[in-house]
Amino acid sequence: MEFLLEINVEEMPLAHVRTALADLSERLRRDLAAARIPCRDLRTFSTTRRLILTAFLAPGQDDRDELVTGPPKSAAFAADGTPTRAALGFARSKGVDVSRLQIVTTEKGEYVGVRRTVKGRPAADLLAEAIPSIITSLSFPKMMRWGTGTLRFSRPIRGLLCLLGGAVVPFSLDGLVSGSRTTGHKLHAPDGIEVGSFEDYRAKLRERLVVIDAAERKAAILDRIAGLTGPRAAELYPDPELLDELVNDIESPFVVMGSFPEEFLRLPLEVLSTAMREGQKLFSVVREGKQLPLFLGVADVTGDPKGFIRAGNERVLKARLADARFFWEQDLKAGFQKRAPLLEEVVFQEKLGSYADKAGRLQKIAAYLRGKVGGCAAAKEMNLAAALCKVDLVTDMVREFPSLQGTMGGLYARAEGLPETVARAVAEHYLPVTVDDSSPESPEGAVLSLADKLDSIVGVVGLGIQTTGSSDPFGLRRNAQGVCKIILDRKISLSFSRFVEKAVSAYGDKIKRPKSEIVDQLQEFFAGRLRYLLEREGLRYDLINAALGAGLDDMYGAAQRARALDALKNGPQFEPLILMAKRVNNILSGQTAPAVDPDRFVEKAERELYATFTIIRDNVAPMIAGGDFVQAQKIVFRLHPALNAFFDKVMVMTEEMKLRRNRLALLQAIRKTLLQIADYSQVVVEGEKPAK
Amino acid sequence: MSLQRLILDLHRFWADQGCYLAPTYDLEVGAGTMTPDTFFRVLGPRPWRTAYVQPARRPTDGRYGENPNRVQKHHQYQVILKPSPADIQNVYLDSLRACGIDLRDHDLRFDEDDWESPTIGAWGVGWQVMLDGLEVSQFTYFQQAGGLEVSPIPVEITYGLERLEMFIEGKDDIYDLQWSDDVTYRDLRLDEERQFSDYNFNRATVKTLRLQFAALEKEAAMLIDQGLPLPAYDQCLKCSHAFNLLDARGAISVTERVKMIAQIRTLVSRVARLFTAPAPSGEGAA
Repeated sequence: MEFLLEINVEEMPLAHVRTALADLSERLRRDLAAARIPCRDLRTFSTTRRLILTAFLAPGQDDRDELVTGPPKSAAFAADGTPTRAALGFARSKGVDVSRLQIVTTEKGEYVGVRRTVKGRPAADLLAEAIPSIITSLSFPKMMRWGTGTLRFSRPIRGLLCLLGGAVVPFSLDGLVSGSRTTGHKLHAPDGIEVGSFEDYRAKLRERLVVIDAAERKAAILDRIAGLTGPRAAELYPDPELLDELVNDIESPFVVMGSFPEEFLRLPLEVLSTAMREGQKLFSVVREGKQLPLFLGVADVTGDPKGFIRAGNERVLKARLADARFFWEQDLKAGFQKRAPLLEEVVFQEKLGSYADKAGRLQKIAAYLRGKVGGCAAAKEMNLAAALCKVDLVTDMVREFPSLQGTMGGLYARAEGLPETVARAVAEHYLPVTVDDSSPESPEGAVLSLADKLDSIVGVVGLGIQTTGSSDPFGLRRNAQGVCKIILDRKISLSFSRFVEKAVSAYGDKIKRPKSEIVDQLQEFFAGRLRYLLEREGLRYDLINAALGAGLDDMYGAAQRARALDALKNGPQFEPLILMAKRVNNILSGQTAPAVDPDRFVEKAERELYATFTIIRDNVAPMIAGGDFVQAQKIVFRLHPALNAFFDKVMVMTEEMKLRRNRLALLQAIRKTLLQIADYSQVVVEGEKPAK
Repeated sequence: MSLQRLILDLHRFWADQGCYLAPTYDLEVGAGTMTPDTFFRVLGPRPWRTAYVQPARRPTDGRYGENPNRVQKHHQYQVILKPSPADIQNVYLDSLRACGIDLRDHDLRFDEDDWESPTIGAWGVGWQVMLDGLEVSQFTYFQQAGGLEVSPIPVEITYGLERLEMFIEGKDDIYDLQWSDDVTYRDLRLDEERQFSDYNFNRATVKTLRLQFAALEKEAAMLIDQGLPLPAYDQCLKCSHAFNLLDARGAISVTERVKMIAQIRTLVSRVARLFTAPAPSGEGAA
């Protein structure tokens, strides 16, 4: 039977719509499975004003045979086989004649029981219970109440349509009663409609200017955009996030194109597109990467025959651009470099001082990092970029459009004739903002971004501020991820602990916590972030553990080790070596050994293992030093036959202590070399229980 | 078409919805939300419906009368309905129709925009209402005020009167608006904007304002101690305006800003608690 649910709401944000649809489907599937009601073809649709779910369900539960056991046989029947009062009572309680009782053999012995058929419940009854509790259980990052009700939801729920096989599934929720009615477009077709099935619902809504399928709305918008830009040899300046948001925002997709006075084209593209996007949610239009005096706006209408929507948006945009130009000109007039001292007035963190203090620290950290990141500009330029990267916080433009921080600094630095490397580093130093963002393209930008992010993290951790749970109020996780990402993207080899120590030192006496404590805490914290990034690359968690177990201080090296393990994990030599390494580990556990004495070997197999090992060790050393872990591992694989022979032929734990200790020493030396490549003991092989 | 016509249309419409039409409050406030007809009505269990015009003063928005959109004083039309009715969005749309806007020709959207006022410890969930790209109203379901959870939930609708009128008249410049048939916004407001911009940005005496802020804060605390939440709240509003002027004078550092806002919020929270506490005299809170 066809099931259809529509939750009619006031305008919900896109992120809420997404989680609501995912949770609704998941919980409904789970509840149906628990109730043994088969469900297929579950689909969801949405607009900002409706959450829609449809599926095909079995009409109800199947009837089910059930065996109910009662008292033990010994208590139920007398020796002569006549039923006792216990048997009679049990039969009565189950509503059957005592003759229907049968003997059931269980683990605990023989009991009386009765077999009976339990009628399956209709799906409609089960849904009437499940739906309201599912809706009540949905949760959102920010929830609200409304009216006199007690329900908490993303936005007020205004209607509930719920049908199974065309009939209403009756329930009530916070004063609302489910039914078979909904409404069309809120402005253009607000009257109620009676609905019989999903196709009927979809078709009637379409007639009433509501397209319920987001993909269809998106296609319609893109199609209209192409129709408007094509003839002008222009294109939409892509903004996938904005597009998705607009697709959610409207029920009836329409696009208007408008223009703004050409004089505003003197404003940088970044400023123009931000002024258009924020507030009015308009797209920029470009030709060959150059801004045209045009915009595209999505509207929740079927047309704009009188041109009111275009004209209205043009009027608002003109005012906004006039404002933006005012800020741009004011900022240029006030100067950029000149305003650096104003950072003393801007608090970075109450106990950590101002942004001017931060700029001072960034200069120190950047000077250190400059040597670690290849291709950096002269120290003087690096220093200037560090001093200026936060100055745009005091500009009018960034106060008006905070999302332009960094970008504006770069533009103002360039406008003031500062070196391009400086402008670029300033512009890029917030990147990457999210994991999906790209890292700074310039080495100077990378240095500044690393310095800025680590400085912020060290400040918070240095003060001993504990952040727990899923919230990240100080952006620690985001910043740490950014640091890891830049290090991986730019293949930067550096000692993390020394990097942290530099950042702590830069704070001077503002940070009282011992350096070593901060390093320890951050090492663990960053390991988590690095692990996350590597998991995103699709690497197995145990390989990541093995790679990180061999050392974390050089994060890029650790990542390379993980990737090398991944590259070789399917080869025939991989598992045997792992098993061998584990065996080495097991034997060594709790043992200590002196240095190897080559003259003390007596067996051929141990002499051969030692010879092979020294060759391999000397061969892989430069590979490890050079970060070529794939090659190093391939060489290490060659240890396997000799190790195998050793374990076969040589008694390690011999009673002769001198021999024993020398053998252990050999294995210890082998382990030490292996550990430079990976902690193989953490790799999970077939048949082992995964241990995270 | 004129601003006063718009006000009359809204008055008639909301009076018909059962609102009492409150007189404009006689203190400087940054938003209609801050006046007692909103702040005290949203607290407590008693249902209320009110509507009123409130000038909103935002000293930093002054532009010496030279910007066609920004002014240091604009007018809000404030509506509070408690509890929020189920069909409130449609009622709101009807109010726009009552102002003579034919919604069939326009793009009207409710864009996510949750509202919060740290100064009065209030926040809510809602939207800015965009009409052809112009924000004409703020639509908010209050969740908290004065640091207290509110129940039942009030809905607040705030119309930006000048913006709405610019939309209706199709004007690009605020000063070109008609206040009445023969008086323009320019006639009434241009000099005021020039003079107050100068006052706000250049003339207001920082030292005096600081002294005022401190004295008003003390006064508010004293009145709270005396069990007089209504006059105490007035002192908070005056504090807030003194703060806004200091801000326009560029006299407040970031740390100080946080501190001063927290000072006002603490007082306002105490006012809210005092106001909602069961009165010992037996007279219940509003």
